[in-house]
Amino acid sequence: MINSLIFMNGYGIFVWSSFAITFLICAIFYFKTRKTLKKYEKEFVEEIEALSAEKKKIVLENSKIASKVLTSNNKTI
Amino acid sequence: MNFFHNSNIFIWVEKLIAFINSIFFAVLLAALSFALIFSPPDYLQGDSVRIMYVHVPAAWISLASFTCIALLSILNFIFKIKNFTLVAKSIAPIGFVFTCIAIVTGSIWGQPTWGTFWAWDARITSMVLLGIFYFVFIATYKLISKEETANKVASIVAILGLINIPIIKYSVEWWSTLHQPASIKIAGSSTIHSSMLMPLLLMFFTLLLYCALIFLMKYKTEIIRIKKKNLYRKI
Repeated sequence: MINSLIFMNGYGIFVWSSFAITFLICAIFYFKTRKTLKKYEKEFVEEIEALSAEKKKIVLENSKIASKVLTSNNKTI
Repeated sequence: MNFFHNSNIFIWVEKLIAFINSIFFAVLLAALSFALIFSPPDYLQGDSVRIMYVHVPAAWISLASFTCIALLSILNFIFKIKNFTLVAKSIAPIGFVFTCIAIVTGSIWGQPTWGTFWAWDARITSMVLLGIFYFVFIATYKLISKEETANKVASIVAILGLINIPIIKYSVEWWSTLHQPASIKIAGSSTIHSSMLMPLLLMFFTLLLYCALIFLMKYKTEIIRIKKKNLYRKI
């Protein structure tokens, strides 16, 4: 059973390499996309945190997205 | 409340990412089990037919993504809706990755089926052309710093590339090619058995979930990038 799953009557090398390449590319692409997203989130939060208390309050009142990113980022910290 | 406001979309994007993350691995496991274990080998191609379960969905996604990008570009030319540009920009890398996967897995499938990894066949050549259109579309945003110009150039590339989509689809009928004709037809009866169709559709659904996840993360990145750029305008 295991042998036939691995070798697939001589086609195993083609089948397994196709699946491996597909999921390897997908995994790399996923982690790269996630890394970029986290980087932008972090930079955005740092820019908000660098503002004075008064300016920060204005930004958070005017932008739901800014407050959402700030909250979720604080949760992960 | 305007649902299409960026902040509302952003909240939904976060919820959808969490939902897809929670179900993805269960769906992937089921799809892989059917594709590699439960589906039967083909009477002619034997077990090599299992490559179809990654090759065909990848090709469908690459074609569908480019059609989407081109249609969004046309709509953006007419209605000037900024969100359409963001969506097209977020879809493009996904389409490019799946075009590469379709070409590579097709090439691997070619060796046991045709006896060669590569042939300048009409279907394969038109798929390579699609990959080039994707590459140019993505490169436009990297090379042109002025956003408005980049949007216009990318839209023109997408609209020009749309001509290639029917060529890919009908290449196996218009020319004598090594590539087999479509087994699954939207209109008309399909020539694939349900024991293979079901795993194929399941794998397609799994890869669609993956694409949705990547798209949402890229879209979220784009929204944050714009918000970051406009941060000081709010003060």
